[in-house]
Amino acid sequence: MNKTSSQRLPPLKRNWWLKHRFFKLYMLREATVLPLVFFLLCLMAGMVALVQGADSWQGWVGFMGSPVVLALNLLALAASLYHAATFFVLFPRVMPLRIAGRSLPDNMIVAGQWAGVVVVALLFFWLLGRA
Amino acid sequence: MNKTISVKRYVPDNAAESYWQAFELPVDDSTSLLDALNHIKEQLDSTLSYRWSCRMAICGSCGVMVNGIPKLGCKTFLRDYDGEIRIEPLAHFPVQRDLVVDMEIFLEHLAAVKPYLIDDDPVKPFDPQAPETYRQSPAQLARYKQFANCINCGLCYSACPQFGLNPEFRGPAAIALAHRYNQDSRDHGKKQRMAELNRHEGVWSCTFVGFCSKVCPKHVDPAAAVNQGKVEAAKHTLIALFKGDEMNGEGKAHE
Repeated sequence: MNKTSSQRLPPLKRNWWLKHRFFKLYMLREATVLPLVFFLLCLMAGMVALVQGADSWQGWVGFMGSPVVLALNLLALAASLYHAATFFVLFPRVMPLRIAGRSLPDNMIVAGQWAGVVVVALLFFWLLGRA
Repeated sequence: MNKTISVKRYVPDNAAESYWQAFELPVDDSTSLLDALNHIKEQLDSTLSYRWSCRMAICGSCGVMVNGIPKLGCKTFLRDYDGEIRIEPLAHFPVQRDLVVDMEIFLEHLAAVKPYLIDDDPVKPFDPQAPETYRQSPAQLARYKQFANCINCGLCYSACPQFGLNPEFRGPAAIALAHRYNQDSRDHGKKQRMAELNRHEGVWSCTFVGFCSKVCPKHVDPAAAVNQGKVEAAKHTLIALFKGDEMNGEGKAHE
């Protein structure tokens, strides 16, 4: 079969995603990476500051406490929770799990993932409380 | 009660450009969009062109865009629409006339994934005197049944922005059908299909927008099939990497 025998339309315009609410929510899901990149850059700056010494570290702690940085990192937290919520719902569709030949219901897999988030969060707060 | 629907007309014999035409017609609670189009064709304007056949969501012919969302005309009821109803031909396909689109590219994508049982090594040669049928357990059937419900209506291609951006993407229905045969216990063609699926225009063009599954009138969930296909493709790549499999070379030749 000749691969180019059929007609081709020109590709969609760049603003294709503005057409529907569904596409906008998809772009929002994909855009959650932007505040997360900021958070990761903060973490990396923190590690560099740690290597450079106490003054540098104190400077970084002050930077992290400034209102703008706090607001951006709260946004990153909200974005990662939104991304997690969308991801957890998609997971059972991509990796349907079966135990002893029977498939697990989707909402159980989603609940299991949120339970994992709670466990990790509790562990994190426990470690933070000991420090 | 009367409602107005606007239809995007394209009649290349009369006008080079498409235009909108409004029709007012009587509707009741049972009037489907397909009924409305038939009413227009029979009573108001016989030049309107559109495809239809079964009027019960099994032939997959009457797909159109309703207010920008791909829908089957027979499964869409005018009672659910207040205000504007805009009917356009399916998006991402070249329009031939009015609501009729050229679906050739979709058929090419379907054929490319070998959507049929491949069994190079059947247990026994076929004997007409004592034909032997394949055996399949309900559990084996359940693994692919959902993906076998596709009626090739093409709504998912009109919903898929990745197909709109790159028509060479094999697309939701074709990959779902490939996955359906890959999951079938009677089939042994997975290796052949992987060469087609495990490349950029195969499963990897999908970014899981998921709109294809939202618009699917048969609940096939093609987005799930494509993304399960990514897991399979990743496994295939890893295995080929360690085994130095010749199939990997064939996959690359397509790129």
